[in-house]
Amino acid sequence: MDNKNEVKTLSYSNFDEFIKNLIREKKYDLIGVKEKGKRFVFDIIESPEELRLDYDVTILPPKKYFLPQIEVLMDYKLKDKSKAKENMDIKSQIIIGVHPYDIIAIQQSDKIYLDEQKDDFYKKRRENNIIIGSEIQNVSDRSFAGSMNTHLTDSGYDLFITDLGSKYAITIGSKKGKELLVKHSKFKDAKSSDIKKIEKIRSKIKSKFKKEVKIPKEEWTKYLVANYDNSLWEERANKCMECSSCTMVCPTCYCYDVQDEVSLNMKQGKRYRTWDGCLIRDFTKIGSGEVFRQDIKDRYRHRFYRKGNYLPERYDFVACVGCGRCGIACLPDIADPCDLINELSRFDKDEKTDKFFIKQDTEVKEKGIIHIPRSATIKKIEKLTDREKLFKIELDDKKSLGHKPGQFVELSILGIGESPISISSAPTDAPTFELVIRKVGNVTGKMFELKKGDKIGIRGPFGNGFNVKAMENKDIIFVCAGLGVAPLRSLINYVSDKKNRNKFKKIKVLYGCKQPCEAMFLDELEGLKSCEDFTCKLTVDKCPEDEEWDNEIGLITTLFPKLDFDKNRAEDTISVICGPPIVYKFVIKNLKEMKIPDKNIFVSLERRMKCGVGKCGHCQINGVYVCKEGPVFRYSDVKDLPEAFE
Amino acid sequence: MKAKVAFFDFSSCEGCQLQIANLEEEILDLIDIVEVVSFREVMKEHSDDYDIAIIEGSIMRPMDVERIKKIRKNAKILIALGACATIGGINKIRNQWSPENVKKEVYGNENLKGNKFFDVFKTKAVDEVVDVDYYIHGCPINREEFKKVITSVALGKKPEIPNYPVCVECKKNENICLFELGKFCLGPITRAGCNSICPSNGSACEGCRGILKKPETECIMDILKRYDLTYEEMKSRCKMYNYNQEECK
Repeated sequence: MDNKNEVKTLSYSNFDEFIKNLIREKKYDLIGVKEKGKRFVFDIIESPEELRLDYDVTILPPKKYFLPQIEVLMDYKLKDKSKAKENMDIKSQIIIGVHPYDIIAIQQSDKIYLDEQKDDFYKKRRENNIIIGSEIQNVSDRSFAGSMNTHLTDSGYDLFITDLGSKYAITIGSKKGKELLVKHSKFKDAKSSDIKKIEKIRSKIKSKFKKEVKIPKEEWTKYLVANYDNSLWEERANKCMECSSCTMVCPTCYCYDVQDEVSLNMKQGKRYRTWDGCLIRDFTKIGSGEVFRQDIKDRYRHRFYRKGNYLPERYDFVACVGCGRCGIACLPDIADPCDLINELSRFDKDEKTDKFFIKQDTEVKEKGIIHIPRSATIKKIEKLTDREKLFKIELDDKKSLGHKPGQFVELSILGIGESPISISSAPTDAPTFELVIRKVGNVTGKMFELKKGDKIGIRGPFGNGFNVKAMENKDIIFVCAGLGVAPLRSLINYVSDKKNRNKFKKIKVLYGCKQPCEAMFLDELEGLKSCEDFTCKLTVDKCPEDEEWDNEIGLITTLFPKLDFDKNRAEDTISVICGPPIVYKFVIKNLKEMKIPDKNIFVSLERRMKCGVGKCGHCQINGVYVCKEGPVFRYSDVKDLPEAFE
Repeated sequence: MKAKVAFFDFSSCEGCQLQIANLEEEILDLIDIVEVVSFREVMKEHSDDYDIAIIEGSIMRPMDVERIKKIRKNAKILIALGACATIGGINKIRNQWSPENVKKEVYGNENLKGNKFFDVFKTKAVDEVVDVDYYIHGCPINREEFKKVITSVALGKKPEIPNYPVCVECKKNENICLFELGKFCLGPITRAGCNSICPSNGSACEGCRGILKKPETECIMDILKRYDLTYEEMKSRCKMYNYNQEECK
């Protein structure tokens, strides 16, 4: 930027005048640091006297202005579901007194929230904001920003204030900042003695920090990767209150939950998001009640890996700026990354830092608005079993969904919420698509009450589908366990479609479920048997006396010996698995015995995919986002992720 | 068809129903979405034909058991309203002593034998006697949460009640931690959902929404030590609403 390093000065009285002018400015709310008891907070400033640029640290970081504690995403009327409106009533703000570490934290959130799938709310808030930074004058006892090199910054602000002892120096960081200063203050150009003074002041800040992290932040990731199974996680986690205070006060934590709430007269409703934290027990809980990372040790460790390994691998920054807020907030005092990393410094490090991460080129999907579902209509409902129904759906704009087999959508019912559902039909069925829904939670339960012609909402498709290209000219073995048949049906129908059939060699489908009444799509699979080189084997765990079953009885793994598999074809065989978590281990064992290489095995994994765009943080398997890099993975990519098949 | 709702009170101060009566004009919205067939505080009519039973108060006597079982049988959905119903709450303080001793302390040598109104056993929360579908915690309840639960039920959705401690809300509200101010707060072990109303107004949490962690867990001992507080004090603070309470799941 041209204006960078341009420095002006303001006398103390002119500075007060500047603040008063900003307070009068109708276009903006002026936010600044002020006292709250013995602590400090960012809040509306009503007079220059309130502003405390000598603060040490605020209770909450300024992220509350970009990612508010509660943010309404849309308003809707329950009767007219097609008219959901994005709630974009956002006022402009000037935030004054932001310390460098908090500025750096905002720059990090920018990278996350303004990536290829921009969060429109965050974007609007950031565009409407002016950041006036200020030098750290007093240092919080718990801060270790000095050793993180986050005590200074030369970017990320519009203006930056340094108290020279007799006047203020204002460094200009952007055009927007300069305009504000020109419009509202009587400044002078800084003299070279002023610039020298700024440099002197800045050079002394580092020495004010009492706490120091012993490992440079670039190295954290190496120590973390080497110590995943270190006993210190459990020892420290035993003291954890599971309160997630550490993540609430963190300037770089950004996970959120989304909920629907309706007015008491049930006429209007709103969908809002609110801060969520990975230390909370139900953070990963999915509709069927399963919880991943259930052990507090795993959740406690997860937070540090996110800060020091997962996000650095993904975005090239350590997601800790050394502000020390978590150290203050944590009652048992186990949350402070400085203490943790210093403890880790006694142990070994590992140079291979991408162990828990998959580098993958994910497609840039739906751009622009990511929170508002598209209106869609239920065209047909078919009962599959007592627990599952098949819904044929069409988007109201009549456009095709444009999905790939293996992808999922967020199914949305206003007033109830959203739920990730894998797409069960082949893309060749466009413009309609099908979802198999098992009645387990709120959204799916409500879906069961809906009728043909009813409106629902759809976001997506999301995620990484099956790599169909990699399957061409290969034999394919499908292993579908229970509800796993639903997402695989999309691929089975795709590869056996007349237009595509000659691209693939032999197709074998193994399908197992608990008992005959739970089996789905039997007629359809029967019909496919007429395809060339298509075999299908079915099994149930057990067949009660009052049910009929002409196929195999036994667990799905008992089908493998009956497969008539030619080991010479192992390299040219792809296997695709989907089922409940317990199934993978046993099925993969069989495939390995058949010498099918790990890279030829595809799995579709289930986690709590809430946002679908890699932001809300719920679906993580170590460093991997299931909603983005998955839900379909090559087994070779995920087999070493400790959380993948826990 | 609107669901029919009936309110019932057992041992309690009826303050939680009062919170609902205090919805004032919003009561009109409430009766717009459900048909209230029984609500002693605001109407004189009563009917035993209801879909949703909302229960305030603890179960204390054999006659209460008989009555609550009948209500459970009549209702499709049973909601426990307020701490006395959800966890036993204040009424459980007397479980520290035997019912006989309590009676003697309060009524002296009065002969109460055979009087079914005084035939008390140890206090029980509603779910210790019958199945409870949904909980509206608190002493008193939070009206906003009541609205959330009743609209959820009317929409056929399971209400989302926080399964994390008050600290989460307290942090979102940017309060200074009461431990920092030398106060003894039960927020870290208490279920959230009150929007941290007590800490936000400078009062330590008393645990009225039930505890998520037992006070004797290692982490709490540690905190007590750090802030120079005693376990006995902690235990006695917990007695107010959570005497002998198991941690909630």
